[in-house]
Amino acid sequence: MKLKHILLALMFMLLVGLVACGDSSEDTDTGGDTTGDDNTEEPSGDTEEPAEPETLHVAALESAYGVEVWENIIAAYEEAHGNVTVDLTIERNIEEVMRPNMQAGEYPDVFLLATDREEGLTETMIKENALASLDDMLAMNVFGEQVTVEDKLLDGFTDTLATNPYADDETYLAPMFYSPTGLFYNAQLLEEYGWEAPTTWDEMFELGEKALEEDIYLFTYSVAGYFDTLLRSMLYASGDVDLFNAAMTYEEGIWESEEASRVLETIAKLADYTHPDTVANANPNDFVRNQQLVLDNEAIFMPNGTWVVGEMAEAPRADGFEWGMMPVPAFEEGDTRYAFTFFEQIWVPSQAENVEGGKEFISFLYSDQAAEIFLAAGAAQPIEGIVNMMDDEQAFFYSIYSNDVLPAMGTFASTEPVPGVNIGDELYVKIDSVMSGRVTVEEWINSLESANDSLRPAMN
Amino acid sequence: MNRNRSRNIFIFTCITPALVLFSLFMVVPTFEVFRMSLYNWGGLSGNKTFIGFDNFKVLWNDMNFIQSFQNSVLLIVLVAVITIVIAVFFASVLTKEKIFATNFFRIIFYIPNILSVVIIAGIFSAIYNPRTGLLNSVLGLFKLDQWQQQWLGDQDIIIYSLVGALVWQAIGYYMVMYMSGMASIPESYYEAASIEGAGKFKQFSAITLPLIWNNLRTTLTFYIISTINLSFLLVTAMTGGGPDGSTEVFLSYMYSQAYSNSTYGYGMAIGVVVFTFSFVLAAVVSRITKREVLEF
Repeated sequence: MKLKHILLALMFMLLVGLVACGDSSEDTDTGGDTTGDDNTEEPSGDTEEPAEPETLHVAALESAYGVEVWENIIAAYEEAHGNVTVDLTIERNIEEVMRPNMQAGEYPDVFLLATDREEGLTETMIKENALASLDDMLAMNVFGEQVTVEDKLLDGFTDTLATNPYADDETYLAPMFYSPTGLFYNAQLLEEYGWEAPTTWDEMFELGEKALEEDIYLFTYSVAGYFDTLLRSMLYASGDVDLFNAAMTYEEGIWESEEASRVLETIAKLADYTHPDTVANANPNDFVRNQQLVLDNEAIFMPNGTWVVGEMAEAPRADGFEWGMMPVPAFEEGDTRYAFTFFEQIWVPSQAENVEGGKEFISFLYSDQAAEIFLAAGAAQPIEGIVNMMDDEQAFFYSIYSNDVLPAMGTFASTEPVPGVNIGDELYVKIDSVMSGRVTVEEWINSLESANDSLRPAMN
Repeated sequence: MNRNRSRNIFIFTCITPALVLFSLFMVVPTFEVFRMSLYNWGGLSGNKTFIGFDNFKVLWNDMNFIQSFQNSVLLIVLVAVITIVIAVFFASVLTKEKIFATNFFRIIFYIPNILSVVIIAGIFSAIYNPRTGLLNSVLGLFKLDQWQQQWLGDQDIIIYSLVGALVWQAIGYYMVMYMSGMASIPESYYEAASIEGAGKFKQFSAITLPLIWNNLRTTLTFYIISTINLSFLLVTAMTGGGPDGSTEVFLSYMYSQAYSNSTYGYGMAIGVVVFTFSFVLAAVVSRITKREVLEF
């Protein structure tokens, strides 16, 4: 009998435990909200210096730049800012790690995670209006320096849809780690055959014919998603910033316009010169094989970013291989050429506990001290004078911009979530079908227009 | 009386933890999926709006969903049919024929089943590699160059390439299940049949098949469930749903809608359809294959 009582008591405790567990998440949920409110009021009541110890929760994607760089940054910040302890979460699958916490109402104070990633967590935050405005951060002085963040950032980096997602002047995402993208090739291969790097698409296709005679294909791509930088540069080249913005804000009939459709037709024409194995390898498992085609002199150009140099560092390659990078060819002789600037974004969730602390931390990331730590890992902050801090190889890629080569920046305007419609799938992923000839340019344009029709009314 | 009551308390005490855990981690989330499918929600913030069955209306006209649905159904049917035929064949050869090293073959057949799907994806992407892959190289060896294909690039055949990987993975497991069924059939039946003049095929169709029928029926449900799950894993690891959605299956489409496209509610609506579909399909299959159980 006694045993049964004990069992019953244990049972009861287990039940209570489970129930408590179930409730606690809701508790912290509401609890988080109220402390969040308290915190936003506190600084206004308090004086400038928050004397009591603060904890800052930073979440970051572990990218090619590694973990150590973030540990160094945080050590430097904690040293400069005595009373702050930074709690860092850095993972390759950061979305999977953070999403459950965020769904339960526990937000990090600062999150480094770019848009255009498979999981789309940043896009979800944008679409749900869950980001804190960073305008006051831009007006702040860079931590420990006498210059405002806005003045220190390179021109144009806070005027894009990638930083101001609602197509207005309000900045919600701060630019980090910029990297020029373009067409990567083996400079030594062109030299060997005496070919010039083409400056217009006509020259590009002429080169394609010449290369085919040597059994070399003009073009390949890692995965269809890598067309994002190429296509956006081409939109800039075809119709300047007006066309680009019209396309990015889903303007009616924009893809039927002559300037936009010639971009799509050019892509379709590239299909004739694309290495035949490309589509079969253009998946998450095998995309490196497409990049290998360039290293093996089987294909000449691929759209990519400077990270490819590190990504393929260990891969075997043709004798004398030498990386080259060129901006996207122009449509007419003498036109301005563009190279898309890819950058990552860092942001503060509006429901974070320590919004102000998060902003101050971001301002520190633009200091010379932080920029040097980042640069040592190969990451370039978009601030004035960054190129002077670089070594020669880095500077070669970053000096692609000149008088007739301009940076292209920006992404699609944010919309409310629209079920079943994804503009990235329609514009980039469909290229696999365009390459294999299953989708004609006309069908491509029609599907883009119908996606635009669904997305336009949903723009925030 | 008292004894009975304490017995009941004891039973109750033993069952409760399992019931609580089951309802907390299975029943509640399932209801949540159904509930969430009625909302317009991105999945992260607190902004949810109730929209009734709108998600399902959109689903009805979503061609990408229909394509992923077709792909899933095709995979379920082909994987089940091909695996059954091959697994039953090898099971009966290994149990009934006196061939050497039966256990060795049993292990060989079973190995793919213990590999993780990511490894299988790696193996098959090497096999299907257009240039140096095993498949194209073997075809080239036999001078069958016209049969060489872009196994993962041609949108018309890539789904069949997935079938190949899934069947290879499944055969061993089901073969072992059928073998256990066949091993319990008394040898005397076959002796009697052969005295009566029944050939191997007749013995198989008149004795083996009816007596393992129940076994087969059970595995049909397994095929449905495991193909739905494994095809998602394989597609995610191997093709990413590409080229251009041609290998998208309904779970991968659900994932891309719930996460990449920030339409969590819509993703849950897809989840509801998948749930209902697999439930109904399993019930229908179980119903139409119902036969009187033969005793032996």
